[in-house]
Amino acid sequence: MSSSPVQQFSVPASAAVAAMQRNRVDHVVTVPDWVQLALHQRLEAGVPGVRLVNCSSENQVVTVGAGLVIGGKRPLLVMQNQGLYNCINTLRAVCLDAKVPLVFMVGQFGREFDNLGQPSTASRRTMVRIMEPLLQSIGVPFLCLDGEQDLPLMDEAFAMAEQQSGAVVLLVSAPMAWA
Amino acid sequence: MMNLLEACLPVAQARPNNAMVVATMGAMFALDQIDAKAGQRLPGRISSVPLMGGAAGLGLGLALAHPGRPVIVVDGDASLLMELGGMASVVAAQPAQFLHIVIANGTQFSGLANLSTLEPHFSFEGFARAAGYAPTQTISDAGEWQRSFPGLLQLRGPVLVQLQVEPVPARTVDGFALSEIPDLQFQRMGQEVAAMREWLKVAV
Repeated sequence: MSSSPVQQFSVPASAAVAAMQRNRVDHVVTVPDWVQLALHQRLEAGVPGVRLVNCSSENQVVTVGAGLVIGGKRPLLVMQNQGLYNCINTLRAVCLDAKVPLVFMVGQFGREFDNLGQPSTASRRTMVRIMEPLLQSIGVPFLCLDGEQDLPLMDEAFAMAEQQSGAVVLLVSAPMAWA
Repeated sequence: MMNLLEACLPVAQARPNNAMVVATMGAMFALDQIDAKAGQRLPGRISSVPLMGGAAGLGLGLALAHPGRPVIVVDGDASLLMELGGMASVVAAQPAQFLHIVIANGTQFSGLANLSTLEPHFSFEGFARAAGYAPTQTISDAGEWQRSFPGLLQLRGPVLVQLQVEPVPARTVDGFALSEIPDLQFQRMGQEVAAMREWLKVAV
């Protein structure tokens, strides 16, 4: 049976968890994301060594994540594109000005399935289309997770965040798989 | 009613040596002033500056990273109004030693133009209680605050104290001119973050 177009671009939640554990992630700080629902369910069920910290806004996700990093922990911040837009000023203060290294995993909510494999800047939806140009304009590096094969980019993201003392965003292109 | 310096005095001078403090801008300047007068600054303080609404989240992250240390967040009323939902996030995470102080003076740009906050009589204590902080308290007398501070730090939290504080008098009159904001105000959070990381590494 051939896989659907979405499946080709879908990161299995179990593989995302394995990448987190490989990267010694000890906290996931989040406002939940539709694109990463499969991951959220795994985290809610419990992942050894990873504490789930739910927040009521993405601004808090960034500040709580910053407090954890200052305290010597290794959080991953999980949210959707709308959430990232919501917390740009906090990201500015914490990552660009105060130089706290943070890795964000951001779902491209609203991305049309026929846009997968194409530039997200060609999306019909503003929410999707403006993400990469916005990140470029504020000098925040991003890496795209277009399938399981891209998960080593999480390792790169943590290394870059530390090296550059700032934010790095992993953009999750397609809904994660319950696998 | 107490003034801003009286509100910040116990935090500056009576906090445990291992406590971590996060302050918003008004409290930051007051703590700076108290430290300068005393000729010493205790380590372990960062400022959520310029970032209104960020103090409780920073404090929560620090508390989760170091549950054995007390965390003291000195918030402002206008700042906290920007991220009221953060109180629910604090309660959900249940940090054990978390003292959340709100300087309630009903003004923003206090000591400069003293604009009214959205709701000068908002009950942060009531909101905190509903969110699940326990205990909660409102204090307006400086002596009572000074006496209560050590005991409040001993309680299993998160604890919220609303301090009724008189606004610093406004300075703006006709002909007043704003001076440029110094670079330090945009750099100090980064400097304090680096110092806090170093301090925690040394002292853990």
